[in-house]
Amino acid sequence: MGSESSPQSPDEMLSFNVTPSVLSPRLGRLAIAGRKPISTPHYIPLSSRGIVPHIAQDVMRDHTAIGSLFVGLEDFLERQTPKEPLPPAYMIPTAQGESALRKFISLPDDFLLIMGPRREPSITCPPSNTPNSVAIYTAVGFRQLEARQYIHAVQNLNPDIVVGLADLVLGHTPGLKRRGKMVDRTHAFTTHATGQLYGSSVPIENRSKTAYFAPVLPLENAEQSIYMDDLEDELRPHISGLALYESASLSAISEPLGDLPRLLFSAPATPHDILRDVSLGADLLTIPFVTVCSDAGIALDFTFPANSTTTDPQPMAYDLWSSSYTTDTSTLSGSCQCFTCRNHHRAYIHHLLSAKEMLAWTLLQIHNHHTMDAFFSQIRDSIARDTFETDVQAFQKAYVSELPEPTGQGPRLRGYQLPASGANQPRRFPRVYGRLDDAVEKFTESQSQSSVATPDTGADGLEEHGFAQKEIS
Amino acid sequence: MPINASPLPVWMKCFRASPGTSPVNLTHLTSPAQGRLLARRPSPPCGARIASMSTATRKPMPSALTLDLHAKCSTTKARASTLHLPHGSVPLPIFMPVATQASLKGLTYDQLKQTGCMLCLNNTYHLGLKPGQAVLDAVGGAHKLQGWDRNILTDSGGFQMVSLLKLATVTEEGVRFLSPHDGTPMLLTPEHSISLQNSIGSDIIMQLDDVIATTSPDHARIHEAMERSVRWLDRCIDAHKYPERQNLFCIIQGGLDLELRKQCCEEMVARDTPGIAIGGLSGGEAKEDFCRVVDTCTGLLPDHKPRYVMGVGYPEDLVVGVALGADMFDCVWPTRTARFGNAVVPTGTLNLRHRSYAQDFRPVQEDCTCPVCRSKEQGGLGITRAYIHHLTAKETVGAHLLTMHNVHYQLTLMGSARQAILEDRFPAFLREFFGKLYGEKVNYPNWVIEALRGVGVDLMVDP
Repeated sequence: MGSESSPQSPDEMLSFNVTPSVLSPRLGRLAIAGRKPISTPHYIPLSSRGIVPHIAQDVMRDHTAIGSLFVGLEDFLERQTPKEPLPPAYMIPTAQGESALRKFISLPDDFLLIMGPRREPSITCPPSNTPNSVAIYTAVGFRQLEARQYIHAVQNLNPDIVVGLADLVLGHTPGLKRRGKMVDRTHAFTTHATGQLYGSSVPIENRSKTAYFAPVLPLENAEQSIYMDDLEDELRPHISGLALYESASLSAISEPLGDLPRLLFSAPATPHDILRDVSLGADLLTIPFVTVCSDAGIALDFTFPANSTTTDPQPMAYDLWSSSYTTDTSTLSGSCQCFTCRNHHRAYIHHLLSAKEMLAWTLLQIHNHHTMDAFFSQIRDSIARDTFETDVQAFQKAYVSELPEPTGQGPRLRGYQLPASGANQPRRFPRVYGRLDDAVEKFTESQSQSSVATPDTGADGLEEHGFAQKEIS
Repeated sequence: MPINASPLPVWMKCFRASPGTSPVNLTHLTSPAQGRLLARRPSPPCGARIASMSTATRKPMPSALTLDLHAKCSTTKARASTLHLPHGSVPLPIFMPVATQASLKGLTYDQLKQTGCMLCLNNTYHLGLKPGQAVLDAVGGAHKLQGWDRNILTDSGGFQMVSLLKLATVTEEGVRFLSPHDGTPMLLTPEHSISLQNSIGSDIIMQLDDVIATTSPDHARIHEAMERSVRWLDRCIDAHKYPERQNLFCIIQGGLDLELRKQCCEEMVARDTPGIAIGGLSGGEAKEDFCRVVDTCTGLLPDHKPRYVMGVGYPEDLVVGVALGADMFDCVWPTRTARFGNAVVPTGTLNLRHRSYAQDFRPVQEDCTCPVCRSKEQGGLGITRAYIHHLTAKETVGAHLLTMHNVHYQLTLMGSARQAILEDRFPAFLREFFGKLYGEKVNYPNWVIEALRGVGVDLMVDP
């Protein structure tokens, strides 16, 4: 591996060996100097404010196989004042060649760090993007992230891979004119950013060592052909990968770009969708449903190829809120060897969920990420065996088509995790405290004298107060 | 028979009588053990009466623990020992973090072990509500439920009476209260409490005691609570099914009245439980009063039994508590304050939510050895204050990290106190600790100075 201090082009820093192919599953190996290489297809765990939700850094290091992380820059941009013009993550003192973002979030040195402008999945912002900025949602509200600020962030934070700025329209389908703008703006963002980061006008020692993944818009190929042509041609030396926002884009990639790693933000809803994306040639996938399931108390439970013996389709996950697990001391799934399954059982997770203990989500995250690790490893084995297509068909038969609907409460969601509400909306969450206030009030009303609320009356008296009823002990 | 009996009017009269005005001579009723106790420290006759009356029905009290007393401070009352419990040995003095609902606030039990914790708390009251006794029995107890193979101590549910007093009422039979989960009225008797704790299978179980706020102005009520706690202890001893593997601790009550505390100590010591707790404190009383009560009680307790001061957790309280001769402490404060973004450090607490920490790239505590503070080079995580500021109150991991640090801080503090006692330099440890915490001597609180003077250490005078 090359040392980080010697000036290298991103191409030398990042290597991706793959059988170039279009619209078929493919095996690859993504290697970046100093980081654990990643065998593809694989998934990139998603982070919130620099950590995989509920998994502290030591748990991640000791009890998961996580080796990479996707981080949204918007999680790190908050109040900026004239006195403190730069976000804290930019200010952390770093050694030569060290990534400030990596140091700020205490990510282990050999983890692959990918930065995009926004969290994944992104929350729709009411303000729209402009020709030189995109709308983002920080913990303190909406703002615009200008293209030059984003370049500045890459130069300051030095992630391993940066996902280029794209003019995406969330929440509704863009019209014809908007689609044209999307292409023009994204084209301009990419040209500008690659020029600023790696262009010939930049002195060689100042060129960014961050690899650039150029966005491919979720549009018809014909609509963005000018941009795609430029990616193949003029911009090609500067880009190390492609970022895709829908599965269909996988078919839009032309042969000259076929050897680039493809990072997909298609928000698959089920493992079936993941298999579809892999079959179309996705290399790196992002899977929001892992954390969504953990938050909802749902444990993933599937293998690929399916080894089910029954003919009825099996569920791919189950809801631990269900009271049927109250005394179930079996592991979360069969012979799973994750930290959670080695040490705990369903009855405990069920208890933690109903007691609203944070540990429930931690243990489920460990298990669910472990399940995804195993799933992708099994996918790669299947591709290598050349049985992927038949395995997918068997998987579709063996499992139902949907994940279970969440029933229980998850952790309290923060503003930056929720779509913005309009004016004069009712409160998002019921009050947690004071649920027994009514009972207390009734009780204190009946207490006229003693400051210590211990009535001399027996259970009958309490019943009269409407405070309690006699229980059979 | 005191069991299930209502307070007898004659007892009430007896308790209110001042010492030496006993209406009856009771010496012929005392057991040999009681006799020795009385010989050493004459007790008010009414106390002797309760004790002796129940001695007849008391079953022998096996112990599932041994205490190795290694050293006593030559100046203060501090002790260093090792408590051998069914799930491993615990170095004393110790702080015990509180895993209320069978989970230490987001930490995996692996993370908890890394802080060095050998003994943590579960709350009987909470486990009784969720998951409930039937589940505990089916799963095989709390150790199996939570996957924790070290020791567990359960409280009796008595403290919830103080914290939920507006929702609870105490009768001779037990405590009635509303379930905070669904509002259902519940009754907790000493028998219930012990039966639940037997199902939980904790290594140390606590008697149900009649806890009332020490600040209560109602002296008669405090008196009654103390007396009732003694009677409830007898019911607990009778109800305890597994004395050979679970250690029942009595709880000394008596509010801030030292005379009541003395009576209670004698009653309870006579019942020969494997360990002894000093209860009813940390309910908002003045620190001076707190120290007086602990000092008085530890003075009356036998050397060979562990002494547990319940609900105490501020670092300065722990250190003073150790100096006054206590061995075990528990409190939710270090873990609760972590969730609010506060880090416990030798100079006090840091509120890391404050803006001033947004660009503070130092570890939470310089030269702390917890995984959070240690640098990556030292095998730690290299977390900065700025990053905790970034996470706290937004992501659960912010709480996990600070909880780990705070628990580690408390355990390390007790570890260094223990080491100092073993090396007989505890007074120097006290000076150093309070010097760091308060800085200038003018900032030292009076209660600390007075409490330590009482055990022979004058912080105001440098040796």
